[in-house]
Amino acid sequence: MVYTIRSPALLIIGIVMLAWGALNNAGAVDGLQAWLHPGVYKEHAAAKAKQEADAKAAQEMAAEGKAAPEAKKPSASKFDGLKANQARLSYAFGGIFTLVGLVVLLRKPSEGSADYYLSVIPGIAFILLIAFIVRWGLDPIFGNWGKAAEPTLGWNFARIFNLNYVVIGIVIGIVTVNVFKIPNWAANGVRTSRFFLKTGVILLGTLYSAAELAQLGALSVVMIGVFVLGSVWLVLLMGPRMKAENSMTGVLSAGVGVCGVSASVAAAPVVQAKAVDIAYTIGTILIWGVMCMFIFPTIGKLLGMGPVQFGAWAGTGILNSAQVAGAALAFDPRGIETLKVAEIFNITRVLFLPIIVLWLAAWYVKREEGAQQVDLKQVVISKFPIFVLGFIFMFILSTMGVFAPPGHYQGKYFSSTEIKEDKLLKSKDLEALQAALPKMRNEKETEALKALIADKKETTREQDGILRSVAKIPDLDESAKKALESAHKAAWHTSKRITAFRDWIAWLFAFGLIGLGMQITAKSLKQAGGKPLIIGSMVGTIKAVGSLIVVLLFVREFV
Amino acid sequence: MAFIPETLLLGHHGTEGAGRAEDLAFQLAAPGHSRVLHLLVVPDFWAGMQGDDWLNNASTRDVFARYVEGMLEKDAAEQVAALGARCRARGLEYSSLVRFGDPTQCLLEAAAAHSVSAVVIGPPRPKGVPGFRSGVDFAALVRSVRTPVIIASRG
Repeated sequence: MVYTIRSPALLIIGIVMLAWGALNNAGAVDGLQAWLHPGVYKEHAAAKAKQEADAKAAQEMAAEGKAAPEAKKPSASKFDGLKANQARLSYAFGGIFTLVGLVVLLRKPSEGSADYYLSVIPGIAFILLIAFIVRWGLDPIFGNWGKAAEPTLGWNFARIFNLNYVVIGIVIGIVTVNVFKIPNWAANGVRTSRFFLKTGVILLGTLYSAAELAQLGALSVVMIGVFVLGSVWLVLLMGPRMKAENSMTGVLSAGVGVCGVSASVAAAPVVQAKAVDIAYTIGTILIWGVMCMFIFPTIGKLLGMGPVQFGAWAGTGILNSAQVAGAALAFDPRGIETLKVAEIFNITRVLFLPIIVLWLAAWYVKREEGAQQVDLKQVVISKFPIFVLGFIFMFILSTMGVFAPPGHYQGKYFSSTEIKEDKLLKSKDLEALQAALPKMRNEKETEALKALIADKKETTREQDGILRSVAKIPDLDESAKKALESAHKAAWHTSKRITAFRDWIAWLFAFGLIGLGMQITAKSLKQAGGKPLIIGSMVGTIKAVGSLIVVLLFVREFV
Repeated sequence: MAFIPETLLLGHHGTEGAGRAEDLAFQLAAPGHSRVLHLLVVPDFWAGMQGDDWLNNASTRDVFARYVEGMLEKDAAEQVAALGARCRARGLEYSSLVRFGDPTQCLLEAAAAHSVSAVVIGPPRPKGVPGFRSGVDFAALVRSVRTPVIIASRG
């Protein structure tokens, strides 16, 4: 079979990307970029004006015969960096897509591996183009609209509804598949989104310290242990009482309990689920997942949750694993602290999957005559998520200091001797923080902020964790937020390589989630119904509310 | 003058409504003269039934896909065999079409391709009755079809 479809689409996408890169490089879209990023542009314009004024003053001094101060080399502004980054990515991918697009058009397709691999590139380009538009265009547009409407509405709708690149990307993916249909030339490539999400998880392994991973791992094992096993048990209990068939109960308990659609897919053949069981269950889980992805981040923000609390809650309470990543990034799209926490929970869930499948197999065999016995070894091997090994490998490499100095992760700059004088908070920062003190929500936050004001720097990781949460208080003054950010950055020196990993991880997840959005069809959502909808809704609600209560009561921001 | 159809296109996928359509088709068809063309549609929502699963490896997804395909194929084969036997028992010629897609679209295509005398389908499923949500869009069917459409009553 020949997979590659001869279409000019890839070539056109490549040319569009190249053109965007060239326009940015030439400064031809500066006006548009300034409109999209007014804050960054304002800083850029102010720095430029100051630079020109300094140059003019120096010229005047020189004209008067006085010694002019030495001119400093102007550093690239954030605005310039933003444009350069867009140009670099546009050139790199636009170049590749243009070349491959020409090959697709000129080569006569023939069967083989080359044809198959070639056939996925147009779909990848299609998703990447959407990702570029969403991240570089729609995300700042909604951000600006949210801010503009704030004085009228009294609240920032873009922030409350999390209208950032992740949510908009997933919504565009869902709209694309259900309204416009995925073009034939892109269909093969769209399926690669899973691969890119897994690559994102593998790269995420570079961002954890050993202590962080140990503590998050322990927390996730306890939370997932209680809530996964608890919800599987609850469904197994409710199913027979509601006269649901064993196969339906089995497939639903995996889906509701472990990791949503993935668990249903893994468990369905083992419990010999009927067609209607599968359709009802997967429809129910998809609907719940999509709803949770919108509701969870909004609740998290309203409750003032920090990254660890929200990551733990989303990682436990959201039924479907894809939406765990989506909600975590929707909650915290700039840094990926929340994603780091949530993905540990996702990994723990998937590691629980073979155990749950074996449990369900045993449960089913006990209840159904003629049910097939399963091979324990075969289940464990076939269901083991290999990408987790990649995650562990990257974690080991990073712990060995391959990507950054070993002290990087421990926050060694908390110690008073190693922080430079110019990194200490300035008096205007201290004033802003002093003014923010009445807004602290509890004694711990007040103490942490007072200590920061006294020391002009963070001194412990715990204090850093608390202040990261303080920085998310909705009505906190911008200058106080900036001061908190400066204090955090002074304590945490992030290596350039790790920063690059973070950026790539955000792109990989954005890409993967847009692609997965394209696999959520209205027709499959419509199948939600029957007893799975009733039981799934009850257990899903118990799980979401129960895990929220546990997180709020027992999980602290410091890990 | 009585309506004696040559070919009746019967939309039938084993539900209660399809059973009513079958009864109606048998009333309309004349033994030794009429042919029942059985259209069985496997709804295309199955294509999206792996949803946004991304955690499983390819082998788990393949096992699931083969399991679902096998189940749908077996179900279709059983229904075709059963309806074929019932038609032949009544002296009616029988042939079948198994299609994967949107039921309304498949009905329209089959009606156009096989120059049928009439299309016979079951009534819409009453609310609350379990089953797949992949029924025929009656408005779209009636708008586009070029042959008479007969909808069995709920009884």
